[in-house]
Amino acid sequence: MKERAVETRSSMPEARLSAVPVRLENVTKRFGSFAAVDNVTLVIPAGKLVTLLGPSGCGKTTTLRMIAGLEHPTGGRIWIGDEDVTALPASNRSVTMVFQSYALFPHLTVHENVAYGLRIAKLPETEIARQVAGVLELVGLPQVGRRYPAQLSGGQQQRVALARALVMKPKVLLFDEPLSNLDAKLRKRVRAEIRELQQRLGITSIYVTHDQAEALALSDVIVVMNLGRVEQIGAPTDLYRKPASRFVADFIGEANLLTGTYREGQVTVGPFTFPFRQESVAAGPVTVLARPEAVTVQTDGAGLPGKIRTAFFMGMTNEYLIETPAGELTATEPIRARGLLSMGTEVRLQFDDTGLYLLSESTESPASTGSSESAP
Amino acid sequence: MARALTVPIARASPNITLIVWGGLTLLGTLLLSWARIGRDLFAFVPGSIGLQLLRESPVMSGITAVAALVVLTGALQRPESQRGRIALWLGAAGCALSVFYLVSSGQPFGPAAIVAALGFLAIMGTGLALSGTLRTDAFLATSILWVGAFVLAFILFPLWAVLKASVVVKGQLSLAAVTSVLKSPAFFLLNNPASSRNEAAIAAALGLVTAAVVGIVWLAHRRGWRALRAAAVAGVGIWVLAALYLGFGALRNSVLLAIVVGVVATALGFVFALLSERSNLRTRSLLGPLSILPIITPPFVLGLALIYMFGRRGFVTNGLLGLSTGIFFGPLGVAIAQILAYAPIAYLVLQGVVQAMDAAMEEAAETLGASRWHILRTVIWPLARPGIANAFLLVAIESLADFGNPIIVGGGVPFLATEVFFAIIGRFNPSEAAVYGVVLLAMTLSIFLVQRYWIGRRFYVTVTGKPSGAQHRPLPPALDYAASGVFLAWVVLIVALYGSVFIGSITKLWGFDYALTLQHIKALSPTGWQVFWTTARLSAYAAIPSTILGFLIGYLVTRVEFPGKSALEFGSMLSFAVPGTVMGIGYILAFNQGALLLTGTSLILVLAFVFRNMPVGIRSGIAAILQIDRSLEEASTMLRANSPTTLRRIVMPLARAALLSGLVFAFVRAMTAVSQVIFLITPAHNLATTQILSYVEYGSLGRGAALASLLTLFMIAVILALYAVNRRFDTRTVGKTLMT
Repeated sequence: MKERAVETRSSMPEARLSAVPVRLENVTKRFGSFAAVDNVTLVIPAGKLVTLLGPSGCGKTTTLRMIAGLEHPTGGRIWIGDEDVTALPASNRSVTMVFQSYALFPHLTVHENVAYGLRIAKLPETEIARQVAGVLELVGLPQVGRRYPAQLSGGQQQRVALARALVMKPKVLLFDEPLSNLDAKLRKRVRAEIRELQQRLGITSIYVTHDQAEALALSDVIVVMNLGRVEQIGAPTDLYRKPASRFVADFIGEANLLTGTYREGQVTVGPFTFPFRQESVAAGPVTVLARPEAVTVQTDGAGLPGKIRTAFFMGMTNEYLIETPAGELTATEPIRARGLLSMGTEVRLQFDDTGLYLLSESTESPASTGSSESAP
Repeated sequence: MARALTVPIARASPNITLIVWGGLTLLGTLLLSWARIGRDLFAFVPGSIGLQLLRESPVMSGITAVAALVVLTGALQRPESQRGRIALWLGAAGCALSVFYLVSSGQPFGPAAIVAALGFLAIMGTGLALSGTLRTDAFLATSILWVGAFVLAFILFPLWAVLKASVVVKGQLSLAAVTSVLKSPAFFLLNNPASSRNEAAIAAALGLVTAAVVGIVWLAHRRGWRALRAAAVAGVGIWVLAALYLGFGALRNSVLLAIVVGVVATALGFVFALLSERSNLRTRSLLGPLSILPIITPPFVLGLALIYMFGRRGFVTNGLLGLSTGIFFGPLGVAIAQILAYAPIAYLVLQGVVQAMDAAMEEAAETLGASRWHILRTVIWPLARPGIANAFLLVAIESLADFGNPIIVGGGVPFLATEVFFAIIGRFNPSEAAVYGVVLLAMTLSIFLVQRYWIGRRFYVTVTGKPSGAQHRPLPPALDYAASGVFLAWVVLIVALYGSVFIGSITKLWGFDYALTLQHIKALSPTGWQVFWTTARLSAYAAIPSTILGFLIGYLVTRVEFPGKSALEFGSMLSFAVPGTVMGIGYILAFNQGALLLTGTSLILVLAFVFRNMPVGIRSGIAAILQIDRSLEEASTMLRANSPTTLRRIVMPLARAALLSGLVFAFVRAMTAVSQVIFLITPAHNLATTQILSYVEYGSLGRGAALASLLTLFMIAVILALYAVNRRFDTRTVGKTLMT
């Protein structure tokens, strides 16, 4: 597979060279009075994989479909490279898409599926055969050309869909929740393959998902969307460590959100005060974000007092739901010698600096404009 | 490599579409005839070619100039949006000039006019797409305009002609025809001067008494305006019903017939639906084939069979019982024939409803302790109620619009649909026919609207979410046996009736001499056979455009957004609600003079078939398109395919089975049509169904039966052939698509 890949890479050298950015300027899409996408401005850097992440109905798919040309914005402009494509139909955009349902044509063989776009471009048959063979090899399915989609497994269909999109040498490759029809294990593998292929080809890619784990694993940049607006843009680690809002904190990873106060390097949560310094936050009431893995559960010593309500054995970790004076919170810990603590145990909680972040009350509202500049 | 990558965006290069359409239009208008003489559409008429007309008609020069300008616009280097706007205006100008020329010349249109109309509309469509006015491509924009023009010309314009004829008498606006019809005793008469009772007073009294009783009963339970409303509704309802029952005339006969047939057919249909979906007995396997039989045979075959079995010399009435009774000629016979013909329609509607009910609800009721009877009463019945209303209304429309049965077994009793016919054929009074037509149309149309927009929203069955693995509960045994008994009786009757037509066609003289003979079949030659093949040929011609148009409309309606879409959808589905006889007089009134003269041609028959049966194509088209995942088309678009390519390479192959069925259904419906073509036939283009009617009218029942049998067998063969080709097909889908 590796060797083959090196060989086929040479057949697509210009893909890397021609990678272009995608720019959305104040793009709005209204359905009646409802704004599915509300004044979104963002830049997808050339050659990067950018994920649009958000709960269902947040406007991420509509945004993707507007970039594809399958929907037309009610306002704003879309640029691919230095070309304004806002008024162009989907068939003239040099953009291809991998669909959630794969959208493989059931009455055509795999070869005919992949060749479909090339035939429309009226390439000579020999050239088509060469390119289809090349791209099928690239996705690791050199043997299936004569089969029909229904004769392939879900993972294989997914890769054929990817091949069909790649063979057109698009300027931009779009993914609409491409893994949601696969089972959990396969999803992880295909995810890795997509990422590897995308980085190797250096093709500008936009990926829509509602699965934050997928987004964290895949992306160069994540755009978190909510209610048609951009909530935050940033690298996966930034979003996880320094979410700009409660929404982002809650949506990405698991989060304990406690109310507390911050004063001169001291954080107070309920009756417990501990040292923590964060420059970006002003003294006063804050929301304390503590990732479950940053909560250390001890049976004695100092810390936030609490009582275990339920305890779960999760395999790699133990997970506790703990009642404290500052509210309910979740803690996960690697399995230790002491085993699972039982329900009702009185515990003391400590917080680890790396998984802790303070949100001042003013950062509750979407803070997209401030952080969009930080996109690489 | 780079060819696929960089799609050149043609901003300044020539626009091929405009050049081709402009060129075609130019050539067509210059080289083809604008006028025609007589019936032959493609006859070359000297002196009426565009080139020859240029000198005498400035309008023709204008048309030519516009077409030439379109070619120029396509060839010039211009931004597409600007080019689009120019094309739009040129196309509109071309259409206007062509229409003006046709109207002012007053001669029947020739092929050049067709080319000009389609060409300029296509140029407008291309303009709409290029200028960005419509967010589709030239192909779909053109399709929208063409379909819109067809609907306007061949559905709305004939209806308009009927409306106009009802209020315009001898070129003057006048309500004379309306009042004379509405006042005529043949239409409706309440107080019969010949009888001693006062019918109006009795009806009013009955209404008042009902209102009072209902009002008092309601007041006892609930107070306020709801009691008043209930009293008013019940009172008016009973008053109207009583007046109808006591009265006389076509209106009364048609409405009472529709109500009775609707109620009985719906009840039978519901019983059959329960039987088919909930029975443990094996009788239900007969339901499929038997339910489709009345739908694929000409509408009056059952009427003919009734004469054979229950007429004056009927096999049962006279042969077995020794009676000589005319009781089955008249409303009773019509009602029986219609019930037998339309119970399958009710069944097909209700079968879907009963099938779609989530069995988990019945299981839930059972776990809560409900008996099977209780489940039937508290779960199935309430859920089926909207479907039952739906079935009733559909049957009522069919009954009102039916022409074949009243004319064969009506025994001269007036019905609205037959009055339309007799007003034209017997009394040569198109205004009177138009008034009857408008009354009939108003009734069927309002039922159609109620059915579509009111009942249509009240289906709960489809919103039960995910299918569950639950099993439907069987019927209570007593009900199961009773329902099976009813069904078996129905089967026996149907078999006997169809059998009598088949046997009648090889019997010397039914009722007198039952000796077997081939004389009727031989007598079909040559007229009968000739007529049969003409019908098959014209029906085949009509099937293709109605399938294509139906499919295209289905695609536009489900997949494309454009202004006026709901109007287009409504207009094209309208012909469902228009009784065939009304459509028929619409066509003779609209297309019998001037530029649009079409009467006497076979084209008008084909057009009548196409636009009458188009809803069948639309339905099967929509059903097929909804089966196709929309992302397949989007994937095709993203791979640079334009919409004709996507339609040809993706949608049509995937919808092939449905397209084929649609084609066959359109053919079957055209073959068995009577009412919409009865005014349009000429001796040169007689049709099988109307030929059967005239055989029966002239007393040669045997020949009528022979031709009817031939037609029925042919239809069965066609359906079986479709069944052999198309595996996914089952009798119920056929029925559902075929029925209104």
